[in-house]
Amino acid sequence: MNMTLNRLPSITWYWLKMNNGSLEGVDPAGEVSVKEEIPSQITAETLRLEDLPEQATGMGKDMTALVRTSGVPVHSYATAENQQADGVLRLGYAFQHEARSVNAVSLRAAKHSSLTVVQDFSSVRDAEGFAAAQTRYLVEEGAVLKLIQIERLGSGYTFLNDIGGRVENSGRVELIHLVLDGGHTYLGVQTDLAGYKSALKADIGYRVGGDHTLDINYFANHTGKKTTCDINARGVLRDHARKVFRGTIDLKKGSSGSVGNEKEDVLMMDDTVRNQTLPVILCTEEDVVGNHGATIGRLDESVLFYLQSRGMDREAVYEMMADARVASVVHLIEDGRTRAEVERYLGGISDSNEE
Amino acid sequence: MAEKTYVADIDRSMYDFRYDEKDAYRIEEGLSPEIVEQISKEKNDPQWMHDFRMKSLEIYNHTQMPDWGPSIEGLNMKNIATYVRPNTKMANDWDSVPEEIKDTFERLGIPQAERKSLAGVGAQYDSELVYHNVQDFAEKLGVVYSDIESALHGPYADMIREHFMKLVPPTDHKFAALHGAVWSGGSFVYVPEGVHLEIPLQSYFRLNAKGAGQFEHTLIIVEDNAYLHFIEGCSAPKYNVANLHAGCVELFVGKNSTIRYSTIENWSKNMYNLNTKRAKVEEGGKIEWVSGSFGSHVSYLYPMSVLAGRGASSEFTGVTFAGKGQNLDTGCKVVHNAPDTTSVVNTRSISKGGGISTFRSAVVINPQAKNSKSSTSCQSLMLDSESRSDTIPAMDVKTQQADVGHEAKIGRISDEAVFYLMSRGLPEDDARALIVSGFADNVGKELPLEYAVEMNNLIRLEMKGTNG
Repeated sequence: MNMTLNRLPSITWYWLKMNNGSLEGVDPAGEVSVKEEIPSQITAETLRLEDLPEQATGMGKDMTALVRTSGVPVHSYATAENQQADGVLRLGYAFQHEARSVNAVSLRAAKHSSLTVVQDFSSVRDAEGFAAAQTRYLVEEGAVLKLIQIERLGSGYTFLNDIGGRVENSGRVELIHLVLDGGHTYLGVQTDLAGYKSALKADIGYRVGGDHTLDINYFANHTGKKTTCDINARGVLRDHARKVFRGTIDLKKGSSGSVGNEKEDVLMMDDTVRNQTLPVILCTEEDVVGNHGATIGRLDESVLFYLQSRGMDREAVYEMMADARVASVVHLIEDGRTRAEVERYLGGISDSNEE
Repeated sequence: MAEKTYVADIDRSMYDFRYDEKDAYRIEEGLSPEIVEQISKEKNDPQWMHDFRMKSLEIYNHTQMPDWGPSIEGLNMKNIATYVRPNTKMANDWDSVPEEIKDTFERLGIPQAERKSLAGVGAQYDSELVYHNVQDFAEKLGVVYSDIESALHGPYADMIREHFMKLVPPTDHKFAALHGAVWSGGSFVYVPEGVHLEIPLQSYFRLNAKGAGQFEHTLIIVEDNAYLHFIEGCSAPKYNVANLHAGCVELFVGKNSTIRYSTIENWSKNMYNLNTKRAKVEEGGKIEWVSGSFGSHVSYLYPMSVLAGRGASSEFTGVTFAGKGQNLDTGCKVVHNAPDTTSVVNTRSISKGGGISTFRSAVVINPQAKNSKSSTSCQSLMLDSESRSDTIPAMDVKTQQADVGHEAKIGRISDEAVFYLMSRGLPEDDARALIVSGFADNVGKELPLEYAVEMNNLIRLEMKGTNG
């Protein structure tokens, strides 16, 4: 099938070629088996997509159609009310060379519970293939969901990572995405901040090199009163990499007292990269605040000068600052095991799924 | 809960007067090859312009309507008369202009402004210029300021042909193609090398006819090491049918030259304002856009700067005020095509009474634009929850050797600021009104005094409110 992905909620000029991504000839064949580590307090079951409530996702309708037509089951994980899970739900996806897979996950943090999930998408370094994962979540009243996603796929992989969720009264979702490797990566996230004082905190760290691409669509949909979102993206582009970041804060009528913040900081390491950034604020409510900011390009000259005066050469300074951007997101991961694994990977040692 | 200050709509009564189309020639409504032929004949076009119009019509017929901006479903070209000629010839003294038309421009303050502070004036009424004059001192400097039709047949004919719709080709979008087919009126300005025209030129466009379109073309060529400030104003009486403005502005800025292009747009609320403006800036040159958008039912307006020469720069300063029944989609585009180029964008928008204001921009840094810098700041103020305010800024950076920054903020009037001003003795009404009017001062301070006063008439003096 041909897919339109990550379409901007409010499109702009076509000549910019930034309104959406697209893929042709997508033809998946079943799901990849998931390596699960499920803490005892978390209930796991298998559902059908039809069993789940309607939920828009960041990547859009074509992605949901792909999940539906592929017929894969939805792996569902939930906490019980008032339960603070004492462990981390770990879901490992090891994609094989030349595989074509679709996976679907549902997460539910019941009232006043907390749930931490790590999704680790990996393959061998040079693997080729296609993978799609859709993750839906529901954060009920007073609950907290922490979702950490790590992407380290082969340079020949096309990966669609789609998320859609809803946060109810006083609920909070914290999302961390680390895009460390991959060929052509699409990340679509929609969070419906529907409940009073519901909150989203999102941190995205990426490094894109070679002739790889990264296409992001992040959408914070504020409908509840006094909702907040903080979206921070930090990344590094090298070689001939190309990246699109579409970030939308939609402060809908009725979302009075809400605040939306969005920021992107892009370091371009080579003169052959291309960065496209489209930070959008849509607003139909008076009593709200929306902010966005972006800085794109090279390092600040004064920073460069200072570090060079301390004996570092220009290239070393850039490498250090590039590492720092990704590391600043890695350090937000509270789970020590995951953080250590990512740091090992970034240091050039991978202990998962090596052949 | 804090009470709200009522912020009035912009008062357009001074613009909302009209005269019958007495003895005017009005072409039949709609758009067809026959109509375009007729316009070309009426304008006494040279053959190349006739062919250009016919080709543009063909492009128009094959180009899609834009679907990314405000709805223009209420605009039906079958109901628009694309050419309305007042029954007068162009004059260079106001006494020779027919009484009703002269009265129109006097009520808009144009002759008075010409006497006080302008180096030249062009006044267009419907599809044709009715008055055009340039002061002797400007003429002596070699400045050419004429209607574009005369220039097409005069000593600058080749220059017009070389530049006409080269920056905005008819293929650019559907309404650029429409403009190419039916354009009429507008101004040609030529500033020779080394000439600094310190006093501005002004064109004023008045669309009086009901159900008509205005398609004036402004072509300005400023040679190297020169300076020009050009002011554009426009207004129309309000009708209960759609009117259309699809003008086109092309500015060529020579090496180390500057053009400041100031616009106070105050079309009536039945107007579809689908205007295109573009500047090409050579080495060391600068384009300064100062733009106030207050009128029209629907606007698509994004002045574009093409920074073509090393060290070229652009500044865009804009304010948009969208009230009841208005959907104003405004902003700008900048394309950095050369090294060491810089662009600065600074805009404010205000939405009230159900009005929709959208800031839309594009900053493109092409690979050859090494050491370029771009900074964009847009702020929006929501005055009620019936209105809408969006910001849609795009940045496309294709070289590492660039510094691009962007910041935007949408919000309401700050309670803290109101409290501070009240603690200094201002009543709440005045405090809120002061904040709102100050919000738009980025444009006001860039305009000549007389025009800043006019803008204040449009905003500040209308903001005396009542709690409620």
